[in-house]
Amino acid sequence: MSLLNVGARALLANQVALQTAGHNIANVNTTGYSRQTVVLQTVQGQFTGGGYIGQGVDVQTILRNQNELLTRQAAQAGSVQASDSVRAERLRQLQEIFSGGTEGLGASINDMMNALSDVVNSPTDITARNVVLTRMDETAARMRSSAERLNEIQYTVTEQLQSSITAVNSLATQIAAVNEQIARAKGNGQSPNDLLDQRDQLIRDLNQYVQVTQIPADDGTVGLFVAGSQPLVLGNAATELSIGDASAFPGSGQLKLFFNRPGVPPSELDENMLGGGSVSGLLRFNNTDLAEGRNLLGRLAMGIGMNMNAQQQLGLTLDGQVGKPLFSLPASMPGSTNGAGVGNVTFTDATQFAASDYEIRFTTGTAGQVVRLSDGQATAFTSAANLATLEIDGLQFNLTTAGVPGERMLFKPFSTAAANIESLVYSPRDLAAANPINAAMGTANGGTLQLGSLKATGEPNPPGLVLPPNANPALVPPALGGVQLTFNAGPPTTYDVLNRASPATTLLTAQPYVPGAPISINGWEITLRGSPNTGDTVVIGNALDPQYGDAYTRNAGNATALLGLRDVKMFDESTLSDGYASAIAQVGTRTQSALFSAKLSDTLASNLERDRTAVSGVNLDEEAARLIQYQQAYQASAKMIQIAQNIFDSLIQGLGR
Amino acid sequence: MNNNIYRVGTANMYENTLRNLGTRQTNLSNLQENLTSGKRVVRASDDPVSAAQAERALNRLARIQTEQRALETQRNAIAQAESSLGDAVGLVQEARQLLVSAGNAALSSSERATISNQLQSLRDQLTAVANRTDTNGLPLLGALGSAQSPFLGPLGSTPDYLFAGQPGQAASNGVAIPNTLDGDAAFMFDATRDGSFHAAITQGTGTVIAPGATTASVPAGAQPNRALTTSPITVTPGFVFNEDPATGQAYSYSVSFSNVTLNPATNTLSATYNITSTDPAFVPPAAQTLTPIKIGEKNEFSINGVPGMAFKITATPTKAVDGTITLSPADGDTIGIAPNASLFSVIDKAVNELRAAPNSSLASQAAGQALANVDKGLERMGNIRSFAGELLNRADRITGDQSKRSIQLEADRSRAEDLDMIKGISDFQNQQVGYEAALKSYSMVQKLSLFNFIG
Repeated sequence: MSLLNVGARALLANQVALQTAGHNIANVNTTGYSRQTVVLQTVQGQFTGGGYIGQGVDVQTILRNQNELLTRQAAQAGSVQASDSVRAERLRQLQEIFSGGTEGLGASINDMMNALSDVVNSPTDITARNVVLTRMDETAARMRSSAERLNEIQYTVTEQLQSSITAVNSLATQIAAVNEQIARAKGNGQSPNDLLDQRDQLIRDLNQYVQVTQIPADDGTVGLFVAGSQPLVLGNAATELSIGDASAFPGSGQLKLFFNRPGVPPSELDENMLGGGSVSGLLRFNNTDLAEGRNLLGRLAMGIGMNMNAQQQLGLTLDGQVGKPLFSLPASMPGSTNGAGVGNVTFTDATQFAASDYEIRFTTGTAGQVVRLSDGQATAFTSAANLATLEIDGLQFNLTTAGVPGERMLFKPFSTAAANIESLVYSPRDLAAANPINAAMGTANGGTLQLGSLKATGEPNPPGLVLPPNANPALVPPALGGVQLTFNAGPPTTYDVLNRASPATTLLTAQPYVPGAPISINGWEITLRGSPNTGDTVVIGNALDPQYGDAYTRNAGNATALLGLRDVKMFDESTLSDGYASAIAQVGTRTQSALFSAKLSDTLASNLERDRTAVSGVNLDEEAARLIQYQQAYQASAKMIQIAQNIFDSLIQGLGR
Repeated sequence: MNNNIYRVGTANMYENTLRNLGTRQTNLSNLQENLTSGKRVVRASDDPVSAAQAERALNRLARIQTEQRALETQRNAIAQAESSLGDAVGLVQEARQLLVSAGNAALSSSERATISNQLQSLRDQLTAVANRTDTNGLPLLGALGSAQSPFLGPLGSTPDYLFAGQPGQAASNGVAIPNTLDGDAAFMFDATRDGSFHAAITQGTGTVIAPGATTASVPAGAQPNRALTTSPITVTPGFVFNEDPATGQAYSYSVSFSNVTLNPATNTLSATYNITSTDPAFVPPAAQTLTPIKIGEKNEFSINGVPGMAFKITATPTKAVDGTITLSPADGDTIGIAPNASLFSVIDKAVNELRAAPNSSLASQAAGQALANVDKGLERMGNIRSFAGELLNRADRITGDQSKRSIQLEADRSRAEDLDMIKGISDFQNQQVGYEAALKSYSMVQKLSLFNFIG
């Protein structure tokens, strides 16, 4: 009798084992499935006078094979990989905007500057002027379109963030529901393997979006925490996340993750605490990488535009008018803050710009620090008046209303420069190619003085460019006009400067003369070569002085000065013509390092996943072996029943007549 | 619970293989992109430093092309300027020959008129040559800036020729030469720099001493031919002449002769001369005497007292058969010394004086003065012309330098971003073989399973 029982029990146990092996084989390619093994347990022996007689085998439980530590590690590594790979992908897109070569923005800028060389050689040629103005228009259009592409990338990033957050919220709700089911099922005594697998898979999916820390609770539920401390899922309750503008800098375009607990205003999460996840990667891309790309492009536009405008406004057009600005650029940019302070930033020195955003951090209502966000360099100021005297990286910060202690104000000086740059001059006659001043050597000069260059610089400003006085032949004695440099051969060779107004005034005496070194007076600069004899003179006059007639229409000194802007260092030690190359290198380096970290985290994630599946993945060969094993046991158990039946039959047969 | 460390999940095994296949395939296609584009650095992230180097090299190449184009324009302008100066030198040399022939005492006044007409036409051509422009309408000799036609004249006022521009020469630099020459230095004169003065003789009326008299008197009939000429005026080197602020030219002087008396004892003449000037700062010296002036001989005297200048007069008084002495110098003879504003002025003065000369003495005076100053002008034109030649040589040297630099920059760019084809092809083939091996092993491993051997 008991043999039949033992056999029946064994049969059932082996049947369960076979079914479990079959369940594993069926789910070999199911993601997140942990293989299940049957745990067999021997039934307690029956006490008899001859000893404890075994009663067979029983299935104790179906064990889910998984390693808690490896599962958690694999999920985290997957989270970091998602963050790095989404950032690398977006940076690759950003890099496409800064592409080099003969069709790039850099080549367009250089073509625009090089076209001025034709104007220098034929100042009266309208075609050459037209070519320059057309190329200026084209460069402005290309800057606008690059800025447009940047904006598009930002738009798609924002959209991706929104849809990611929607997915996160839905996953959190699902996890909360599964938590409840698991808690209920725990009461039954056996572990709900499939629900646990489902929850692990959901958590893994959630980690792809935003990294969460798992803390299991006593009732079988798992609490998920975002940014280290915010409870996203607790028991069967899920809280919502959302994406919004940074609360400290409304309207600045910076995005932050918000945690929306019901009944409480949303709390902003610091993105440095977020860890991995594609949301974290996208936020980092939007707030730092995209901002740097925009600043690089904007600084290029501001630097080139402001310098060219300044030089154009020093020169004379073909009609003898002072030049008008070539490009439209913002005069000032406002600061964004959520406090009481109001401020803006104006642009003063176009050769000192740094491609960075700036923050004013108030220590008291009027004093604080200006921090350059690209590298953290801080400049302290004591009051709004003191701040207005400081020139920081070519910018001047103006506080019109005081702030409150602890307030922060974000300035993005270069964010809209490239998107809004327009070419303003269309008529070729309005290109200010002529110098506002001209130079004449004395006819009695016996030395070898030659004119190297003459240009208006407008430095120092104030007072800027002061034109030499006009000649006035009506006076007695007649005023000759102009500023005269008289040389003394020495050695050492020196020169005196005389302002030939009426009456004449001496501006400088006994200045040392170095051939080829620029002589800067009253906002214009002259370079002379050769060596003078004593008494040699050079007269610099006002080009619009009637005594010179229309000689200025054939002069291209200001166009030469514009051409010379190519070699002015304005982008962190790079000249104008090389500015784009260094921007390419900067974005390229960022992309390259993002690609490297993406590759590294990819390798780490795949290694950890392999380790996890080494424990909980199904191996078909192993399951095949187990099938054979349990099939044999089943056959043996079936044989046991047959033997039991035979025994019974023999017994019945022996007893019956 | 399983503690076996030699386990691998089947699904994960396939996933890893797929990932590796994907990686290899991506590498293969990247290498293919490199091969087809010929570039090692296709995107900046492949090698940011090399990408920036290649971009900078491209910029510099474009700049060299621009500079060379500008140099061609400048070279054309200077070549045209040099050939204009060559034409001008030719014209001035023809004028010089005419002036030499005009000094011949045997010419009649109508012959002199013919010569002066030819000189006039040469001077017109010279002005046209000096005012030539290049293909862009810029005056070739416009110096540092000028009116559309830099040489103005003949003007009715003093000076009679003006350079309407800013004199001076623009310098060359490492990549460019100037595109104009200093026309003021070529054609205009400056008193201090060049010392070009013209002495014109105005004849007085008291030109004879009647027989028996000792002082000059006006002849009854026509004025006789008299031989009074001056030498070319030599200027003290380095002397600085005062300039009239109204005209910008040096002041003019005049030497007037008077008190010509005959000393019957020695049969010689004596004359006194006074020097005046338009310069308000000039202190006229006392009257000076020329003595003895031998009759019938050629006398040479130096004229002193004109600041900065020295010249001689050659006077040949003659005695007629009847005892009338034709004086040289005579009462009222004046030598007017004026600065020449330009080479054109010199020729113009020669034209006017030759046409108006009543006798061959004045004609040879005009020709002699003009010849000396024309030589000064030729020297200046020659200087500027050789400077233009040097500029053209310099342009050639610059072109040589620039093409060397271009080659170097192209090599830099290529080194930074181009693919070494041999290495690229060999890498590609390595990758291809590796990819093939991965594919084959995948298909073979996949066939191995315990299920193949169970029943």
